This record gives sequence, structure tokens and C-alpha cells, in this order.
Amino acid sequence: MTKPSNLLQGTLDLLILRTIQLEPMHGWAIAQQIRLMSKEQLRVGQSALYPALHKLEQQGWIAAEWRVSEMNRRAKYYKLTAAGRKALKSETAEWERLSAAISMIVKPA
Amino acid sequence: MRWITKFRLRVRSLVQRNRVNRELDEELQDHLERQIEYHTARGMSREDAKVQATRDLGPIALRKEECRDARGLALIDSVRQDLTYALRALRKSPGFATVAILSLAIGIGANTTIFTLVNSVLLTPLPYPGAERLVVLREHKLDSPEPLNVHPLNYVQWRAQARSFEALALVQMPPLNVMGKGGAEQVSRMITTPEIFHVFGVRPALGREVTKDDGRPGRDHIVILGYGFWQHWFGGDPGVLGRQLPTPDGSLTIVGVAPPGFRIGLAEPEAFTPLDEHDAAATGSRSFESYGRLAAGVSLETAQAELTTLVAALRKVYPAVDGHMGVFVFGLHDFLVRDARPGLRLLMAVVAVVLAIACVNLAGLLLARGLARRGEFAVRVALGAGRGRLVRQLVIESLLLSLAGGAAGVAMAYGTTRALVTRTAFALADATTTPIHLDARVLLFTLVVSTATALAFGLLPAWQASHVDPQSVLRDETRRATGGRRQFRVREILVIAEVALAVVLLVGAGLLIRSLNNLGRVKLGFEPTGTLTMQLFLGVKRPEARIALLDQILDRVASVPGVQAAGTIQFLPLRGMNCGTGFWLEEQAARRDSSQTLATGCSLVSRGYFAAMGIPVLVGRAFDRQDRMESPRVVIVNEAFVRRYYRDGRAVGRRIVVQWSDEVPAEIVGVVGDVRHNGLTTDPSPTVFLLHAQAPGYITNLVVRTSANPLMQSGAIVRAIHEVDPTQGVSGVGLLEQDVEKVLARPRLQAGLVTSFAVIAVVLAVIGLYGLVAYVVRLRTHEIGIRLAVGATRERIFAELFASGVRLVVFGLVAGLVTAVALRSIASRFVFGITTTDPLTYVAAALTFLVMAFAAMVVPARRAAQVEPITALHLE
Repeated sequence: MTKPSNLLQGTLDLLILRTIQLEPMHGWAIAQQIRLMSKEQLRVGQSALYPALHKLEQQGWIAAEWRVSEMNRRAKYYKLTAAGRKALKSETAEWERLSAAISMIVKPA
Repeated sequence: MRWITKFRLRVRSLVQRNRVNRELDEELQDHLERQIEYHTARGMSREDAKVQATRDLGPIALRKEECRDARGLALIDSVRQDLTYALRALRKSPGFATVAILSLAIGIGANTTIFTLVNSVLLTPLPYPGAERLVVLREHKLDSPEPLNVHPLNYVQWRAQARSFEALALVQMPPLNVMGKGGAEQVSRMITTPEIFHVFGVRPALGREVTKDDGRPGRDHIVILGYGFWQHWFGGDPGVLGRQLPTPDGSLTIVGVAPPGFRIGLAEPEAFTPLDEHDAAATGSRSFESYGRLAAGVSLETAQAELTTLVAALRKVYPAVDGHMGVFVFGLHDFLVRDARPGLRLLMAVVAVVLAIACVNLAGLLLARGLARRGEFAVRVALGAGRGRLVRQLVIESLLLSLAGGAAGVAMAYGTTRALVTRTAFALADATTTPIHLDARVLLFTLVVSTATALAFGLLPAWQASHVDPQSVLRDETRRATGGRRQFRVREILVIAEVALAVVLLVGAGLLIRSLNNLGRVKLGFEPTGTLTMQLFLGVKRPEARIALLDQILDRVASVPGVQAAGTIQFLPLRGMNCGTGFWLEEQAARRDSSQTLATGCSLVSRGYFAAMGIPVLVGRAFDRQDRMESPRVVIVNEAFVRRYYRDGRAVGRRIVVQWSDEVPAEIVGVVGDVRHNGLTTDPSPTVFLLHAQAPGYITNLVVRTSANPLMQSGAIVRAIHEVDPTQGVSGVGLLEQDVEKVLARPRLQAGLVTSFAVIAVVLAVIGLYGLVAYVVRLRTHEIGIRLAVGATRERIFAELFASGVRLVVFGLVAGLVTAVALRSIASRFVFGITTTDPLTYVAAALTFLVMAFAAMVVPARRAAQVEPITALHLE
């Protein structure tokens, strides 16, 4: 039950922002989407997903609204805000810088 | 924009807690459902899918907690928890809570009370627009800081040349005789140049201001009424403009009414009349006041610098008038409160010490309580409570206590302030411009003090308690005697500090009481009991008429049954007014060289004055009715004069020339006893008494010594005066004793308050001491039981416990006395007749404290020594 490390925490934020960039989604769909897009390589534990969503909402990067979903069920959809869009850009850049740096070290020359 | 959204969300989380929680439930539930469907879609049975989905999600409660954490709800929730918990903890120990809240209420209440005074007197600006630009100008001798009145000659030059002022006014306050229904009445009046309303930034409530033309000769028969006077004399009739205000020598045309509350210092003038400044400059003396409004952006220092330069030049223009004179520019508010300020500062310091003692006391109590609650803390730490959480819990407890104490303190201050204000009108009235009351600033002050207090006494115990080691505490046996070794040391130091502070206050109170006592025993030089005073303004008449009028009044008053003596003086002793002039001894008088004059105080009196005041004639004679305008000029001097100017001690029969309206040689015919004219603490200065019948004045005070109750006589005396002249105004009828009371009022208030606070401080310190000894006894009951059981005597146990307390008292006492000596310069302004290291005071303070401290320690020590070994051991 340990919390994800900071790196993972930050990465998860990025993944969430990226996932809902195109259309608003509810929590379960976000988790599924990440799993599918990463070709089953990444599984977002629900223990991390919801706190991250609520934190992002509190930060104002994403906004939530209740919508009626497919089977006439109410679900909480998250979408990017303007601030979130800006954050996504800078977080992506940050991530690219970081992963490039890491691969420089990890890959043999 | 972003922070607004954030803020809105945060507020929503807070305000709509239930809704947010409900939504969270729903969201997680929705997730669970989808997960189940996901699994069933992949062929699981519904049952298995449910189990699997639940497993995927993990404990729901924890998930919710994490989300709430992410929303920042957790902090608020846990603070709420702490608060509830703190309330419960305090309710569980009502004794502790009561003592704590009560001592805080006393400490905070005392601070609030004194701050209320400080706020009204020192901090609230004068009630005029741009009040910070109001200044008062005073002249002074170059070698003396004592502010003197202003010469009109100088005023005219200042106004013409100084650039620092937007407006500058010259005023004088001679009373005005007005004809009322029952004869003449004397009302207060300000004679002023036109600028006065501009200076104070006010407009007349009705009609117009004084204008420049009003001051010209022949045009000066107008009056502007004071608002209060207009209200009670004319019933606030708006048709009053243009009507006549009858005076003994004609009447004045009413052209305006001043705005309500327009006054400088204490008294609201009842009438304003124009000042003829050219006449004043030509014939006036240094007896005027000047008030100004600084030009925008000009500082007090700039104005002072400009005037200093100006006056240096004027000294060459008017060498006779300005020879050795300089000028001061004071902020008006500062000037009005200059006498009240040091006392209020002292009181503020004293109440701060009282509060400090209350805090130290509470810190001690909380430490002891913390020790008793170690078990509780240990359990919480063992269950995972962070150190920060424990500290927060305890700080919230102290905040709760101090806010309750603060609320009680404000209630207390409300009562004490009212009581103080009614009882001490004399001591503070001259300095206050607004009524003294609790306002928002006072409440804010109290809130800040309460919070600071909570941190001051709450942090140390909280820090201590948070350092519990659950293991050792929960291993029960260490909970007893040794467990609190370090905390115990801290408490000892706290008690020593408390004792020291209380002793400092006790010494301070002792010094003030002794000084007050000395002040009360000062030889005034006159006999205040049984004596009536009243003000007379003889009016603008020819000198002979003024002499004749006063002669008749004195004769007529002397014939009233019960009157023993009657006489007049221009400025009564102790009223803060005096007059000074120069004179030549006979040897130097021939040249009349004004650079060669000797300085002396002077008093213009009538025959009968010394008898009426009870001032003894030591050598020669008093003035009598044979001394007249046409008879040889005579003067009387006081002992101080003889001591200063006649080394051989023989003054009677010698001649001097006093610089007065005319400079005629006069023979000294008598020497009278010294009088404390300028205040109880000021040594009598050389004074020459001139006779009204030979140098008639305008304004004077009648002094009447009676055999019966003087106030009962006052009606008959005023009637006697009106029999002589029904147009003669009389005002300010009072007892001479009241003047002495007024002078003593402020020292009395200060001594009274400091003593009350010192008593409170001692009581608090003694409670602290008692608490500590009782605590030691409780800790050691087990040990004492064992020792008694194996043969220790009760006397020995008692002596040991008592001695442990004595050690603290002695340390504290010595520290207190040393501190008091170190701080003695604070008291130097307030002591009289003793030094600030007065041994008697220090010894008395030490003894007083010792007696109280020992009494406090005997009780718990005795109780311990009386312990039955068997009960003590059973306690385990």
C-alpha cells in the first residue's frame, strides 16, 4: 500500500492529462485507456488514480462534471481546463527532457 | 483567475462537505460497477467479478481518505477533531480550566484596561481633519526646556515670514463677563486671530468665522458662541445670529456658532471674540498661545528648523523682548498628552509583566498536566500520531484557554475601565480628547495578546510533551518520580522567573507608594483646608476703577459671617500658571540695564492674601490697606528670594526695582514662607509679591478662608460680590483642597494601579509556587511513604520539602531584587523624596514576598509530612 514515488506521481498526472486531452472521460475509462494505449505495459492502480484526479481538480488543471453515460448511468467526467492544457505542455516537455536524460545514462554508449 | 477557481473549489470542499463526500462515494461506486462489468464481459461469473473488482480497488475507506487528503479536507477535519478533543480534555479537568482561564482573564483584562487608556489618550488622533498637522508653538528661554507662552510681537513676525505653516493663530483665554438672568456670569472665552478655524480645519455650525476686519479697533464688538454655550444659554435657537449678548459694559453682536466639541485640550470655550493683534503686539506680554497647521508635506522638524532660524534673526530686532528666547514647535497631540505619557507607558509595562507571570504560571501548570498525560500521548504516538499533530493538539488547547481568558478579560476590562474613568477623571482628563472606551482597536489588541499568550505558554509544554518515548512511558514504572526530571527543572526555572518578576513589581509598587506618601507630606507652604477659591475678571476698566472695585469686594466679602480672611492672587499655586520677570537690586537699579536683571517669579496679590492662604509672614509685615497707589511702592518676597539674593538674610527695608508695567523702586516690607507654587515636586523658587492696589491686574482669583464649611459659604460670598457690583462675573467656585487633590491624582492613580497589579502578580507567583511544591509532594508521596515506614521523622520530611521551595524563593527573590536595581532608572521619573534604590522599599518588598511565599509552601509540605505510610504505599 505504499504511495507511488514522486516520479511516478508526477508521471501519472501527465498520463491523466494526456489521456483526457481529446475528450472528457470518467475515472474507470481513464485507467482503461492508459492500459490500452501502453499496450498493457502500464497499469494504473486505482489506489493512485482517484487521489491524483482529486488533486488535479483541486489544482484547477482538470474540471469535473457529472454526465449521463452509456447505460443511463451518472458518471463523473473529467476534462482539461485551460490551465491544464498549459500544464500538459510543460509537463510533456519536462518528461521528454527527463526521459532523454535517463536513457543517455541507462543505454550503453 | 486561477487562484479564484482554486479558492472556489477549496471553499466548496469545505462548505459542501457532505455533497463532496456523497459524490466521492458515487464515483467510486461507479468505478466498482464498471470493473465488475469489465470482468463479467470477460467471462467471469458475477460473484467472482465482484470479488475481483473489490480486490482491484482495495479498501474503499482508504481510497476515500486519500481523495479527501488530496482535496485538503483532511487538515480541516483533523483540526476539528483536535478542537473537540481539546474541549473534552478541558471539560474533564474543570479545576485546571478554571484556574487557567481566570488567571489569563486577569492578565489579559489588565492589559486590555490599560491599553484602553493608552488607546484613547495616546493613539486616538485629535478629532480634527488632518490632525497630525496641528502644532502648538511655544517660546522658551535658551537655557531651559520649559515651554513658555508666546509674545504677540513674535507671532506677527512668524506669521509674516514662516513658510512652514498653512495657517497660524494667536489666542488668549481671558474669561468674559456676561449678563445672565441672576446677575453677571463669567464664561470661558477665547480671544483669537481669524486663523483659528482654519488651523483646526473646522467651520462654524452657524453664521461666520472671525474675520480679519473684526480685530480692528471699533469693530471688535462681535462674538461667536461656543456650541455648548449656545445650547444651554439660547437653547440651540438658530435665530440667534444678529442678536446681542449683553455684557457688563455693553453688548456683543452674535455672528456665529462654533462647531460642537471645538476645543483645545480640556475646555470648550463658551465664546470666541476677535483679537486686536496690533494692540496686542504693542502692549502685550508673553501671555498668548499660538496654534498652527503645518503646510502640506512639511514635517515638524522642518518647521522647527525654519522657526529657529527666524527667531535667531528676531533676537536682533527685538533684543529687549527676545534676548534669550527660542521657540519650540510641538505636535499638538504630543503636547497635550506629554504629562500623561510616561505614566501610561509605565502601566503598560507593568501589565505586560503581570501577563508574563500569568503565562509562566500556566506554562508550569501545563507542564505538570503534560506529565500526567504522558500515558495518553504515548498511546497516541504508538498508534501513529505525528509529533506535529501532538503539538498542534496542545497548542489548540492553549488557544482555547487563552481565547476564553481573553473573552473574560475583555468583560473584566469593560467594567474596570468604566470604574477607572469615573474615579480618575482628574488624572487623565486633561490629556484625553475622546471619551475613554473599548473600541475595535482595543478588541484587536486583546485578540492579538490572547493568541500571543497562548503561544507563549503553550509551546514549551507542547514541545516537551511531544518528545515522549512511547516505549519507556508505556513501561509504566518510569512514569513516576524520575519521569519528569527534566520537566521538573524547567518548572523550577519558570517559578523562579515568576517570583523574580513579582518581586520587581512589588519593589516598583513600594517605590510609588513611598513617593506618594512623601508627596502627601510635602509642606505646601499654605493651608488648603477651609478655603474657597473663585475666579474674578475685573473687566476692562481704568486702573483706579479696578483698584476700587477689588477694595470694595474684599471689604464686603470679609464682612460675610464666618469669613476669616479674603484676598486675591493672579495665578493660584498648583494651577500650572506662573509668571516670571526680572528685577534689579537697589545698587544696580540706577542704570536700568535690562541685560543685568536678576530672575524672579512674581505674583500679583491683594491685601489679605497671605492670611487667606495661611502663608506665614516670617519677617516684617503683610500688605495692608494703607499701601496704595499714592503711598510708597512696597513688595514682599519669599524665603527662597532672600536665600538667593541676600546672603546676609536681611531683606526687609531694602529696595528693588521690578520689571513690571512701570519700573518704580519698591521697598521690601516683609518676608513670607515659601509656597510650592509650581507643583509638589518642584522646589520653591524666589518670588516677589506685587500689590494689586499699586499695580492693578485684570484677571484674579479670590481666596476666602472660612471658619464654617466653605462650600456652604460660597452662595453668601457670591451674593456679597454681586451686592458690590451686580455686573461682576464670578466663576470656578471651588475648594483650595481640590487643587491639591488634582496634583496628587495622577501619582495616586499610578501608585494605586501599580500596587494592584503587583498584588495580582504576587498572588499569581505564589499560586505557581504552591502548585510546584504540591506537585513535588504528589510525585514523591510514594517515596515519602517508604521513608516514613523505615523511620524518617515527619519533621525531617517537612523540612526537606519546605527547603526545596525556599531554594526557589530565594533564587527568585535575589533575581528579582537584582532586576529591580537594574531597571531602577525607569522609576526615577516617578519617585519623590526617596532614591530608586531606597533600602526600606526593597527590604519591605522582600519581606512581604517571603511571608506570602512561605505561607504558600507550608500547606503542601505539611500535608506531605502528615502522610500515612500505608496509604502512600497503597497509592501504587
